[in-house]
Order: sequence, then structure tokens, then C-alpha cells
Amino acid sequence: MKKRVVLFFALVLALVTGFTAMTPTTANAATDTSLSKVQKKGTLVMGTSPDYPPYEFQATVHGKTKIVGMDVAVGEKIAKDMGVKLVVKSMSFDSLLVALQTGKVDMVISGMNPTPARRKNVDFTHTYYQGGYSIVINKSDKGIYKNKDSFVNKTIGAQTGSTMYNESKKQTSGTTVKGMTSVSDLILALQSHKIQGVAMEKPSAQAYVANNKELAAIPSDFDLSASDTSASAAFKKGSTALVAAANKSVDQIKKQNLVNKTYLPAAGKYLKTNTVNTSMFHYWKAFLTGIEYTLIITVCSVFFGFIIGVILALARMGQGGVVKTGLRWLATAYVEFIRGTPMMVQVMFVYFGLGLIVNLPALTSGIIAISLNSGAYVAEYIRGGINSVDDGQTEAARSLGMSSGKTMRFVVLPQALKNIWPSLGNEFITLIKDSSIVSIIGVSELIFQSNIVRSDTYRGVAPIAVIMVLYFILTFTASRILNYFERRMQHD
Amino acid sequence: MTKPIIEVKNLAKSFGKNAVLKDITEQVDPGQVIVVIGPSGGGKSTFLRCLNLLETPTSGEVDFDGEDLTTLDTKRVNELREEMGMVFQGFNLFPNMTVLENIKLAPMKVKGIDDAAATKRAHELLKQVNLDDHADAFPSSLSGGQAQRVAIARALAMDPKVMLFDEPTSALDPEMVGEVLNVMQELANQGMTMVVVTHEMGFAKSVANRVWFMADGYIQENNTPEAFFSNPQTARAQDFLSKILM
Ligand SMILES: Nc1ncnc2c1ncn2[C@@H]1O[C@H](COP(=O)(O)OP(=O)(O)O)[C@@H](O)[C@H]1O
Ligand SMILES: [Mg+2]
Repeated sequence: MKKRVVLFFALVLALVTGFTAMTPTTANAATDTSLSKVQKKGTLVMGTSPDYPPYEFQATVHGKTKIVGMDVAVGEKIAKDMGVKLVVKSMSFDSLLVALQTGKVDMVISGMNPTPARRKNVDFTHTYYQGGYSIVINKSDKGIYKNKDSFVNKTIGAQTGSTMYNESKKQTSGTTVKGMTSVSDLILALQSHKIQGVAMEKPSAQAYVANNKELAAIPSDFDLSASDTSASAAFKKGSTALVAAANKSVDQIKKQNLVNKTYLPAAGKYLKTNTVNTSMFHYWKAFLTGIEYTLIITVCSVFFGFIIGVILALARMGQGGVVKTGLRWLATAYVEFIRGTPMMVQVMFVYFGLGLIVNLPALTSGIIAISLNSGAYVAEYIRGGINSVDDGQTEAARSLGMSSGKTMRFVVLPQALKNIWPSLGNEFITLIKDSSIVSIIGVSELIFQSNIVRSDTYRGVAPIAVIMVLYFILTFTASRILNYFERRMQHD
Repeated sequence: MTKPIIEVKNLAKSFGKNAVLKDITEQVDPGQVIVVIGPSGGGKSTFLRCLNLLETPTSGEVDFDGEDLTTLDTKRVNELREEMGMVFQGFNLFPNMTVLENIKLAPMKVKGIDDAAATKRAHELLKQVNLDDHADAFPSSLSGGQAQRVAIARALAMDPKVMLFDEPTSALDPEMVGEVLNVMQELANQGMTMVVVTHEMGFAKSVANRVWFMADGYIQENNTPEAFFSNPQTARAQDFLSKILM
């Protein structure tokens, strides 16, 4: 199963766990209201990372993109048995457990195996599916490779941080193991003969082979314990009643062999309809959504970032008085701190950290984080711009009776902005590109959408080429528009 | 006897250890034109800027119309600044605004006068300084003399009781000095109270009621222009005049 152990996310998880431990929890065994809460609101929110066919992936159903797969079927059964409606929320695999802990989702089903490390943070249901591993190879090499031991002096690829990756390293000798983050990239590497095999789960391997005539699957013959290949649904720690209810459904699924008999074949059908037309044009709606969100994030963040920047710049330039000194100190510390930490961490912190206090949607969190980030940079531009305005301007304005506020607003800032307009324009262009960072919390901007198209179509390069062109069109258009306004301002 | 409009009492101003103004006590009556002269670096600009509190005095009083500026809150100081127009050596026009906008800005944003009234008044003032045909020009397209006349019009737009001039012609080419001095002379003729820092001795002789000679942080002499120029009392002033009149 997917078992990413990226250190950073582990840290975030630990942090969040720490926070939750400090806040009083209502969920303990004696007075567990987890089930009644879900039943009261009438929906069960399932978090999943839809880039993993046939477990979960996006498919176009009647012209609409929808998350489907055997895990969704499992989730639907659990929700139905509880008498509530299932709502599926997509996000990156690494974010799932944090989302569970911070209450963004009620349940996680995402081909996740219940490792001891994970059990410390969340509660798992019984196993609903027992998988195994295959190695996907080029069909032309079918005679050459038989199992994991056939790759001496060759290279096997696997998803970085996954169980397959670790086991491939441990259980082969003389074989190079190459890690990549996405399975579509690995397949691409395989087809361009950079690697000779890709280790992945059996159902995924079957899906790839069924959809790509150039590929074949061979058994891996990895020696594995059952828990490494099993999949369970995860719930927030302490939600005993919910887990018990879900277990009833899971037990039925196992008993009636629903996964193999019903869910997997149904998912396979989606895969077929999904890959009939893999032209990029067929996915124009997905890309359009991406553009839309990228622009929403950028425009909102530029707007709020600018306001934050002005406030910070003014606070940093305040002189005299305890309050002003304090504010100046705070603003300086803020700017330094933001500029000294990665934007990705800030995005994660706003979404999950602030999420403990208020439940913010991913899009809002993304806009907040990027605005806060951009504000710190804009503040420095504005400060430079204000300093570049001659003191005589301020003196003239003050001598006319204008207050310091009005002087700033009507005389200094307009000139400062004119001076720094090119820098602000660059910031806007940068944000168009940097907004891609919010894809990690599942906002459907361009990068996120392209990843979905890639896993849908099993095409590695085409979607990247498409968004590359789209990004360029966006930034080029933006810079033309900004230039136009810059020229219009140059009337003196 | 008229009440003085400006009264300076024991004014002192230091920048760090540099005592620029040491102890100045003088007064300006309504309608008077005072010319302040003295060697460069003697503190003339600093003195003028203390009058409208662009510079905060280290000690002493600056009374305007009976109110001690040094004791007032910022809001009241802002209000009193409206009544003291100031013209700078470097014009300090707002480069991003047209001539008309330069003049209209403060009346509209500070006094809340509506656009139509402010525009009308601005055109009147531009006529007064002979520049109405440049209303829509930007400052960068004006000559120095024109820019300074716009700056005067801008200050007058707030209907001040007093006008402060800090070397208004020092940055100008010689052929433009006259047009600015003419405008100032006209203002004086209309009864405007003015404090003018200048090296234009002709202007001092013909327009000023009093000449204040400033050096080393003190007003060394306060006299009528006739008396001052024909018979300076201090060695400092004699020395200064001998250099300047050569
Ligand atoms: N903001 C300031 N900070 C420090 N020193 C100043 C400042 N303004 C003026 N000075 C000093 O005060 C002295 C008098 O300057 P100023 O009033 O401009 O003289 P003047 O206008 O007579 O030439 C000079 O020595 C100058 O360096
Ligand atoms: Mg000076």
C-alpha cells in the first residue's frame, strides 16, 4: 500500500497531534459521540488521493469529472450502512491523515495500509482488501524478466517513500532502485527505457497493463507480511463508535468478496471509458478549471498581499512611541520570518494549523497563506518605494496642512507605487507561478489538474506540456497588461 | 497697537550636539514683510521651519495668532499649518499631478472643498501668477520660474495668513528670478504677511519692512532695510554685506 514517510509531513502530523492533545477532546470511549455527530449532520466526508487507479482516480462521467474507484465504493457502502450521504474530498496522499486529525474529513480511504506508526495517530477499521505487488515491464522484455530477482545490474522504479520502494531496496541485490513521486512518471521512464521495471500494487499493475498494450506485468515475489499489503479505512483517534459501525460494513464486504466481485470490475470499466480518449483537448474542462483556480488564487493573493504589504511597510517605518516601536519590531520580525521559511510550509501551516481553530476550505487557506507570504515581500518593495520619494514632497504636503496620513495616502504612496510598479508586476507574475504550491492541499489549480489528467490518461508528458504553454500564456498576457499600465503612468 | 501674528520666544534648536538656533526672540506683525538674511549654514532654513513646526524646537515658544505651537496636539498643528503657506527653494511640486491638481489637492483633501470650487479658485490663483495657460501641464515641463510660481499659487490656495519663503529664487536661472520676485512683491502689496529668507538685496530694500540678520544661531540685527544696509551695527553684518555687495 501507499506508505509515504516524508519527514516533513510526519512533523506536521506530530505537531497537530501535539495541539490536539492539548485541547480537550470530547472523543473518549465512554462518551464517544463520533457516530451520532456524523449521523446528525447527515454526511460522511471521505478524504482520498485520487491518483491511484483502480483504488481511486478521476473519471469523466456524463461530462463531469468525478472521483471513482474501489475505495469510493467501499466508502459509499460504509456511508449507506450508517444512513448518511458520502462526500468525497480529494487531497494529496501526504495530507490525508493530518486532514483527518484536524477534522477536515471524517474518514480516510485511500489504499492506506494500517502500519503501526499510523496506528499511533489514527484508528483503523478491519482490512477490506488484501493486495500484493507486481512489477510492470515493457511487453518486449517479457522473456527477460521473471520476478524481482531478474533485475541484476538493471533499474527498478517505485514511488518514493512507498512500501514498494523500501522493499525493492531491501529485497534485491545488484539492482538499482529509482524513486519518483508519481506512478505516471515511472511508467514514462519505463517506456523510454530509463528503467526496466516498475514495482506497484497488483490492481494498479493490472490497470496499467489493461490500458497500455506496450506493457506487461510479472509477479514480484516480494516476501511481505500481511499488514504491508492490506488496506483499511482510517478514522480520528478515539472515534470508537464510528470505527465499530464501519467495521460492520467492512466485514460484510470481506464476507461477500465485494471488492473482487463488484468494486474492482466497476472501477475497471471507468478506467476503460477514461482512457478511450486521451487527447489533451478532451480534457479542456479540467485545464480550464485549473486556469480558473490559478487566477482566483493569484488575483486574490495579489490584492490582499498588497494591502498587507502596505500595512507592514507603514508599521516598519513608524518612528517614536512605545506602540510604534513595538509595531515596527513586530512587522520586521514578521517580514524576516516569512522570508525565511518556505511557502509550502506556510501553506500547510495555515491549512492544518489554523484548521484546528477555524475550519477553512483549502482554497481560502491557500489564498490566506499566499497573501500572507506575498505581503512580506510587497512590504519590502513598498518600503523601498516610499524611501525613494523625496523628503521635500512630504514637507510640501505637511506645510499645506495635510496630516501625516493624508500625506502618505495622497502624495507619497502614489509616487512610491509608480516607482515600484515594475517590482509589483513581477510579484504578480511570480504569484501566477507560485500559486501552484497550493496543489498540495488539494486546490484544483493548474498543477493539480494536470496531475489528475496525467493519472487519468496514463500520459506523462502531454499534460505537462499543456500547462507549460498555459502558464506561459497567463504570464505573458499579464506582463503585457502590466506594461501597458506602466507606460500610461509615465506621463512626467 | 496690533497684536503680533507670530511671536518667537527664546527659541533654540539643536541637532544632536550642533546648536543651530541658540536663543531667538522676535515678533512679526500682520502685514509685515520680514527678510531674513545671513551667511549660509547660519540656521535660516531651520528657523523658518520651526515657525510652522516642520522642525520641532528644542526649547522656547513659537506663538501663532496667540497659540503656542509647541504645546499643541498634532491635529491643531495641522490646522495652523494651513494658515502658514511655505515656498521651498526646490519648489517641491508633486510630479505625478498636473499644475491644476497640485493646487487643488490640499483644499480638497484638507478643507473638503468640492472639485468645482477648487478648480475655479485654482484658475484664479494661476491667473494671479500669470500661468493659467499651463493649468494642465505636468511640473517636469515647466521652467524653474514657472514651477516656483505654481508653488506659490499652491500655497496661496489654502488662504494662509502668513507666507514663509525659503530662498525661493536661489535655484533659478538669473533671467527667471524677476518673474518670481514680481509675484512676491504683488503679494506684499496686497498686504500679505511674509517671512522671506533670500539673498536678493534689491527685494529686501524695496519690499521689506524689517531685515533680520541671522548668524551663529542668533538674530544679530533687526532693523529697517535702509538702516541695515547703510549702517550695519555688528562687525558680523558688516563683513557679510561687504562680501555680498562686491
Ligand atoms: N535635519 C538636520 N539634521 C542635522 N543637521 C541639520 C539638519 N538641518 C540642518 N542642519 C544643520 O543646521 C545648520 C543650519 O542649517 P540651515 O538651517 O539649513 O542653514 P541656512 O538655511 O542658514 O543655510 C547646518 O549646520 C546644517 O548642517
Ligand atoms: Mg537654507
